[in-house]
Amino acid sequence: MFRFQSQTNIIIEAYIGEYASGKSEMAINRALELKRQGRKVVLVDLDTVEPFYTLRPLKILLEEKGLEVISMSSEDTFGLGETGAMLTPQARWALWREGDIILDVGYGVMGARTLNLVEGAYESPHLRILAVINALRPMTNSRDRIVEYLRDLGRVDAIIANSHLGEDTDTELVLTANQIVFTAARQLGLTVEYVAVDEKLRGEIPEERFPVPVKYIKRYMPGAMWK
Amino acid sequence: MQSTIGESKKAFMTGNETVTWAALAAGAEVMFGYPITPQNEVMHYWTRLAPKFGREFLQTEDEISAGFTVCGAVQAGKKAFTATAGPGNVLMQEPFGMAEAMRLPLVAVIQQRGGPSSGTVVYSQQEVTLTTYGGNGEGNRIVYSTATHQEIFDYVIKGFNSAWKYRFPTFILGDGYQAKMREPLTIYEPQERGIEMVTPYPLIGKAGHIGADREVQHLCNIYSLEEELYDVVMQHAAEYERIIPELVEYEQKECDDAEIIIVSHGVVSRAADDAVKLLRDQGIKAGYFRPITLRPFPEQQLRDTIAKSGAKKMLVAESAYGQLFRLIRQEIYGETIPIETLLMPGVGIIDYDIMTKVKSIL
Repeated sequence: MFRFQSQTNIIIEAYIGEYASGKSEMAINRALELKRQGRKVVLVDLDTVEPFYTLRPLKILLEEKGLEVISMSSEDTFGLGETGAMLTPQARWALWREGDIILDVGYGVMGARTLNLVEGAYESPHLRILAVINALRPMTNSRDRIVEYLRDLGRVDAIIANSHLGEDTDTELVLTANQIVFTAARQLGLTVEYVAVDEKLRGEIPEERFPVPVKYIKRYMPGAMWK
Repeated sequence: MQSTIGESKKAFMTGNETVTWAALAAGAEVMFGYPITPQNEVMHYWTRLAPKFGREFLQTEDEISAGFTVCGAVQAGKKAFTATAGPGNVLMQEPFGMAEAMRLPLVAVIQQRGGPSSGTVVYSQQEVTLTTYGGNGEGNRIVYSTATHQEIFDYVIKGFNSAWKYRFPTFILGDGYQAKMREPLTIYEPQERGIEMVTPYPLIGKAGHIGADREVQHLCNIYSLEEELYDVVMQHAAEYERIIPELVEYEQKECDDAEIIIVSHGVVSRAADDAVKLLRDQGIKAGYFRPITLRPFPEQQLRDTIAKSGAKKMLVAESAYGQLFRLIRQEIYGETIPIETLLMPGVGIIDYDIMTKVKSIL
């Protein structure tokens, strides 16, 4: 029997979406939010294609903040080079860990299908699959493109609207670009879980313009040199 | 050509994705490629987008073949390109040499990774020598070293035009950090900016009788006699030298009164730019010089900058063990300014590294 099935109030969330859509930022922010609520949280890097990028450069920082982080460490990478698809045993059996599990499913196009590598993922009654969409990325910058993209992704339980331009984001862009995400969600019959906005814009966003909560996030990925 | 981008717009992308959109906007018709990190997403995005815009893709059996298929496609009049890195760049030197020999408008995007050999998959600036002077020719190539995603977009578009206008193989030299980094940029259709794209044309199979309607043309990569080759190489060298003033590009800041000139290229120049500002805030007169074209190199411009500033020292900073340094020394032979170096092969350089070095040598 899977151990997670004996727990009733655990949270298991998988963040999927286009390459560079903001999956890692959403996963990190969610993990830290749960941690602040006093919960035990495991953050799992599921980038099976390029495991040396993604969360590796931030692992120590996030561990210092109290998260359990399953990702490659710099010292684990010796000799691996270009081994192709990579999955650590810790990631494969991540759902056996104690606490909430936040899965950062890297490298976009395979979407939730990567979860077939995680033991018990599909059987879990707790798993929620959240697709992160940035409508200021050309691949997902119209209703039709988002719909086409999400239909191709497989199972999606809800959408996170994360439209931004990095340092160049402003209130107007947050309002207009995320409306595109809402129209796509309506067409697909999916709910938008929340609108993610850089905390630098806190106080400037007319939150009432959105029918769902606005969640302010801190951007951690620029701390990884290559981001 | 079908519209790709439509109205000019801001976008948030990775560098590899930027290459793909720029190639589409530039009217590239076909990409030939073979997978290698960190350029993979150029291929991934091209294969997703190409069918939507009637463009084509072929994954070849290796990089040698990818390079040669580009050589073939451009002879048939197709705007073609490839993208590679590290050992892939090594393998492509044979087709790149053919493009030099036959004056083919080949375009290649290089996302440098660590070396020698397979090195690392992550980042480096160790493909400078290979990209500028690789192969068994004279380095008759055009090499743009980009620093931002906006530049990747701009120079991929410009690169196609340089290749088809001048008929020398043209390279956009990025690196693994630029490939994977994500930042905002403005994407646009070249026509909207008044940039006229050179229409590709077939190099072989031209109409008309040879001798009667047109001259015979030889696209050769092998000759029977020394003298034949000599004539061709000398002619190519002369043509390359003639177009240098039209091609050369560089960027220079705060050099007029500089005591030290920091020279860097590509993504490292972002750190140098920040370092110069911070050093100036601390009262240290630092200047910034960045070759955008590594081939042809802005030789005269760097000489003039040194002379005008009267700088006491120059610092070369690069993520390689002296490849840019070597290039600079050969280009400004005869200058007597002492040159210090910050050589960090395969790892990133930040403003702090440069500032610390400057303070230790002034």
